[in-house]
Amino acid sequence: MTLLKRSNSASDLYVCKVLYRRDRLYSRRTKKPLTIVLGREARMESPLIPQEIREKTKYCFECGVCTASCPMAELLSPQYNPRSVLQQILEDPDRALKSEGLWLCAWCYKCYKRCPQGLKLPEILHTAKQEVAKRGFDASFEKAVSIIEKHIPFPILCWYTCFHPERTGIPNDKIVAMKEKLAGRPKKGKKPTNRQGRAAIIGSGPAGLTAACQLAERGYPVTLFEALPKIGGMLRKSMPAYRLPRKELDNEIQLLKDLGVEIRTSTEVGKDIKFDELWRCGYKVVFVAVGAHTSLKLGIEGEDLDGVIDALNFLWTAKESAKVDITERVGVIGGGNVAIDAARTALRHKAKEVVILYRRSLNEMTANPWEIGEAEKEGVRIEFQVAPKKILKKDGKVAGLECFRVELGELDETGRKRPVPIEGSEFSLQLGTVIVAIGERTETSFLPNEVERDRSNRILVNPVTMETSMTRVFAGGDAVTGPASVIEAILAGKRAAGFMEKYLNETGEREDAHLAS
Amino acid sequence: MPILPADPEITEEARIGVYVCHCGLNIAGTVNCEEVAEFAATLPHVVVAKDHRYTCSDQGQELIKNDIKNSDLNRIVVASCSPRLHELTFRKTCEEAGLNKYLFEMANIREHCSWVHHHDKEAATEKAKDLVRAAVAKATLLESEIETVVPINRKALVIGGGVAGIQAALDLADTGYKVFVVEKQPSIGGRMAQIDKTFPTMDCSICILAPKMSDVGHHPNIELYTNSEVQEVKGYIGNFTVKVLKKPRYITDECSACNDCSEACPIAAPNEFDVGLATRKAIFTPFAQAVPSTYIIDRDLCLNEEGIMTCDKCIEACERQAIDFDMKPETIELQVGTIVVATGAEVSDPTRFTNYGYTRYPNVITSLEFERLINAGGPSSGNLVRPSDMKIPKTVAFIQCVGSRSKKGNPYCSNVCCMNTVKDSLLIKEHWPDVKIYVFYLDMRAFGKGFEDLYRRAKEAGVMFIRGLPAEVVEDPKTHNLWVIGENTLQKEIYKINLDLVILSVGIEPCKDSDAIQRLFTLSRTSDGFFMEAHPKLKPVDAPTGGVFLAGCAESPKDIKDSVTQASAAAARAGILMAQGKVTVEAITPKPILENCRICGMCAQVCPYNAIVVDKEAKSVQVIDAACAGCGTCGAECQFEALHMRHFTDNQIRSQIDALTEEDADTKIIAFCCNWCAYAGADFAGVSRIQYPPNVRIIRTMCSGRVSSTFIEHAFARGAGAVLVAGCHPGDCHYIDANYQTQRRVERLWKKMARLDVDTDRLQLLWASAAEGERIATKIREMQSVLAKLKPEGVEKATKAFEGR
Ligand SMILES: Cc1cc2nc3c(=O)[nH]c(=O)nc-3n(C[C@H](O)[C@H](O)[C@H](O)COP(=O)(O)OP(=O)(O)OC[C@H]3O[C@@H](n4cnc5c(N)ncnc54)[C@H](O)[C@@H]3O)c2cc1C
Ligand code: SF4
Ligand code: SF4
Ligand code: SF4
Ligand code: SF4
Ligand code: SF4
Repeated sequence: MTLLKRSNSASDLYVCKVLYRRDRLYSRRTKKPLTIVLGREARMESPLIPQEIREKTKYCFECGVCTASCPMAELLSPQYNPRSVLQQILEDPDRALKSEGLWLCAWCYKCYKRCPQGLKLPEILHTAKQEVAKRGFDASFEKAVSIIEKHIPFPILCWYTCFHPERTGIPNDKIVAMKEKLAGRPKKGKKPTNRQGRAAIIGSGPAGLTAACQLAERGYPVTLFEALPKIGGMLRKSMPAYRLPRKELDNEIQLLKDLGVEIRTSTEVGKDIKFDELWRCGYKVVFVAVGAHTSLKLGIEGEDLDGVIDALNFLWTAKESAKVDITERVGVIGGGNVAIDAARTALRHKAKEVVILYRRSLNEMTANPWEIGEAEKEGVRIEFQVAPKKILKKDGKVAGLECFRVELGELDETGRKRPVPIEGSEFSLQLGTVIVAIGERTETSFLPNEVERDRSNRILVNPVTMETSMTRVFAGGDAVTGPASVIEAILAGKRAAGFMEKYLNETGEREDAHLAS
Repeated sequence: MPILPADPEITEEARIGVYVCHCGLNIAGTVNCEEVAEFAATLPHVVVAKDHRYTCSDQGQELIKNDIKNSDLNRIVVASCSPRLHELTFRKTCEEAGLNKYLFEMANIREHCSWVHHHDKEAATEKAKDLVRAAVAKATLLESEIETVVPINRKALVIGGGVAGIQAALDLADTGYKVFVVEKQPSIGGRMAQIDKTFPTMDCSICILAPKMSDVGHHPNIELYTNSEVQEVKGYIGNFTVKVLKKPRYITDECSACNDCSEACPIAAPNEFDVGLATRKAIFTPFAQAVPSTYIIDRDLCLNEEGIMTCDKCIEACERQAIDFDMKPETIELQVGTIVVATGAEVSDPTRFTNYGYTRYPNVITSLEFERLINAGGPSSGNLVRPSDMKIPKTVAFIQCVGSRSKKGNPYCSNVCCMNTVKDSLLIKEHWPDVKIYVFYLDMRAFGKGFEDLYRRAKEAGVMFIRGLPAEVVEDPKTHNLWVIGENTLQKEIYKINLDLVILSVGIEPCKDSDAIQRLFTLSRTSDGFFMEAHPKLKPVDAPTGGVFLAGCAESPKDIKDSVTQASAAAARAGILMAQGKVTVEAITPKPILENCRICGMCAQVCPYNAIVVDKEAKSVQVIDAACAGCGTCGAECQFEALHMRHFTDNQIRSQIDALTEEDADTKIIAFCCNWCAYAGADFAGVSRIQYPPNVRIIRTMCSGRVSSTFIEHAFARGAGAVLVAGCHPGDCHYIDANYQTQRRVERLWKKMARLDVDTDRLQLLWASAAEGERIATKIREMQSVLAKLKPEGVEKATKAFEGR
């Protein structure tokens, strides 16, 4: 019985077990105990994955909510499944680090907003990618790029706005090579428009562009209506040039022209052409992709003063004209990507001091972590848990901002902590310009009443077909979801295009009453 | 300067007998017991010192008894195993020999010494000597005590008239005790009254509950207060005084429940019982089987305003003239001996999970709404109709774990929703076999008796169970059908399913007024928000407050069977107390020393049980022995040493510190461990033979809250190398929250040490449960480095800084 020397820390149970199984647990060759690697816990010891990630991934229940929310999962189906990528990181990190799945996340944060366990998938995947870059397993990156090339319309646009591979530490030459590969991908040329049904697409953001492109590729005549003088939607209007070079945008949009899409810029539906007229012009289906462009108001005193500007307009003028009307001290209110863009753009103009005021904490911000980091590096100051109370005035102009501090209370419907004002915490800031970036709404007054909208003016659609409550009218992008992401808009365009075909292929008389009107 | 109270009771000279136990080889294998006994003989007041192979055996006990008689011993010290194991045994031995049981002390040289220092026999023997020295020092100061006996009032209060409250009340009443039932709502019945059928037997819920409800209504031993709330609770185990606010119903006993008034009433509002799916009038009865079966007027809705009177339709309609608008709220005072808390739980509100669209989409309903819809007595007469068009749905889905098991909802599993869904799906299949049913789940939990069988039946009936929760529910704007989109995680496929009706399986949450109940009865709650039991395994229905018991969902989410089981258990526990008619309270409660007391009231402020009454005007301090649990927090808080904590007095503890620091103090760790967690954890380390350095000396207190800053300072003044204070994890404290005081004191002392330039690492605080032996051992190992870097100047500095403490 006492063949085995008992170690100091071994419990009786352990000793019994070892005695019982001695023959099998000891290696004949090394005479050392053999360890059996069982399931998750054991595997987690892999040194490849940093501790912080291991900790987080443990709490995933594999409910599948992330995958079902993920636009990339649908666009690439079945090649991408964020849930199983995450699980692989936990269970088999060696393989996970070599899988292309890591590279397919488009940073839309939709999964994070819904994950019952509050896991920030894009950031977990990002840390894993950095690990990959360090070790030089970039074959997986190449594979991911070829998947993206095949399945994602406008891959270069997405490169800049969604994937950001250069952030992971992949060597620069590889990045350049891959980007060139994408730019040089075989493109479909102009097709003879041999099919009958014509489609009208309102709005030329990523959703509209995608739908137009998809239908044109299949040979349908498509007209794209755009209120602004140039197409591109939010990408053109508000995305700062340092994030998306204009040249790249123009190049990608050239594709549309090559496909023979009729582009009618400076044409606002509802004003320059009535919605109902579209039917009379012979369009069989309409896709509404007008985005969300009306900035929300703060609803506080002094909002109409000279010096208060909405972030979208500010970004637009900053891009179009070299001169913008701001002062040296600027305050930006909001915590999303638009707020960060506005702050960084302001610094690139006249502003010397820029402060962002955000109601919640860093953890709740949905701007990409590096955007926040770079903004801070450039000198933008971010004040967390602060809300504006009123805008102070002097000589009819903005002189400052009175704010109060807030505490974070219970979780609200977005799963983030609800800010509650702290009494007596008021303080003021001296500012000449206040940029408001607290969100946007869709302007839909041009639509007929049959198209149902919700209380926030978002258009209600069938989530599978993207058809609205009015037959033959489809909608997608920010106009349906509220301010969201490029990749979700692209998915919406793709989904809608598929189901619009049904009407476009119809022959014979139009049966719908409203078409005649 | 410490104010040393005269110890009036120690008049006789101490004559101590010390018995060092070998415990076979358990102790003697490591510790040289003969040497320890010889050492003990040299200690002051020790008259007899012997070692014995098995002291707890009959022979060993006889030896002690004979010595008490023959050598005229008046204090006994046994150095053997943990007092948690054999203190009672030896106390009885003493009593049998005519010695007061409080004149006995134990030194733990097995769990805390021989078992954990296998490889250093010499150090283990030295440690055993130290522990005996401390025990003898304390024994010298021990006093005989008489335990208080408290009478118990043979009446019980049950709050909450759900199935748990009903069962507890009936059991107690049938045993013959008078029971008062207080229910907040106009009728008893609780959640079970709303449910259609019950799993796993598929019995009709109200059919089995209604007879019990009416028993409560008619039982001669039960007095029922509905529409009433407990306002104030005073007193202690056996002697509670409870104030109940009885709100007026505005209907007299004349009411024959004819419904004439209700028909006449012009005002209608959503009906709570039907979760808002139907309406009721301002004058109403909650449901057909309500007990008491009388009506009630909702004055928030009623148009009849005092003095103005714009409506009196019901008065006109009532032939029996049972309506009386002049009724006023009454406060009733009840005297009871025991209390059963059965306040139940609430269902969680899924509105905040916006991706499921509850309240935005009419055809998304909760499982409780479903119960009312499928119930023959419900608003749709048992037809499962969907709210948008009142048609019977053809496809239905259940979404599980809504609000449970997540970071955004409640972290725990709600226990009943899985089986509830299985039951609901079978109910649908029973009535409409063609309806297609999907259940989207994370895990199906069917653990109870008969549950798996029911689950299998549902599968046989064709219910589709799909693993993977929906990411969103979106309404089709054309049809009001719902698209449910999620991932089938077993197939690794996205599903997008079009459904007529979606039912959210909502979880169970603590009642909103749990806070108030907690304060009224000085209960504790777990991090989940449910009431905490005195011990999760061995006292699962006792509340930490004596005389209070828990039953039903108030304690944790559970099904009807478990609620009833627990209610009967609570009734039995309360019954035992009342049958005995009295309780003895261990004599470890404080006695105020009025000469020292400055009536500052600090003790009363920190007492978790409100057991001290300080009257500043009358300049009196009174400890209510029956309410006091003996944690000693008050004693530690008192600046003037005006509380004599019996059996754990300041002087006794100081004498232990003195004894342990007599030699080589700077190489030692003095550890104060609470009886329930840390001390027990160290015992567990012994049982598991977890080895750790032998330079730690453990002093036992009931609660870490007993550890006064002056004890720690005293240890440093005596040159101790390091001090460890160890107690239960926050929230697990056996004295509600006394360990928060510990934390506060230690933190304050850290600051003071920093100010006096004493290395703060020398004082450590540890939370460890009774199962965390390894955690304690690790801490002791870690603390070696603190001792290693300790310099003689450092020790001296601390000695100086705390001199005289
Ligand atoms: C939708 C649903 C379906 C279910 N189906 C089943 C099933 O089929 N089978 C099964 O076994 N279990 C089922 N359950 C679980 C079952 O309902 C509970 O186990 C049971 O009701 C618990 O009884 P209780 O007395 O603890 O609480 P409750 O029934 O909630 O009763 C508590 C009572 O206390 C009262 N109260 C609260 N606070 C106070 C106060 N401060 N003062 C006075 N009174 C107060 C309340 O008004 C209430 O009447 C289901 C639960 C839900 C939500
Ligand atoms: S949503 Fe969250 S919990 Fe669910 S599978 Fe994805 S990461 Fe895991
Ligand atoms: S951030 Fe967006 S793209 Fe990335 S995994 Fe989440 S849902 Fe998918
Ligand atoms: S007096 Fe009040 S309760 Fe009576 S009928 Fe009028 S509104 Fe209804
Ligand atoms: S009982 Fe089932 S549905 Fe309810 S929380 Fe637990 S696992 Fe989820
Ligand atoms: S010993 Fe504890 S319970 Fe007793 S009076 Fe003091 S603080 Fe209160």
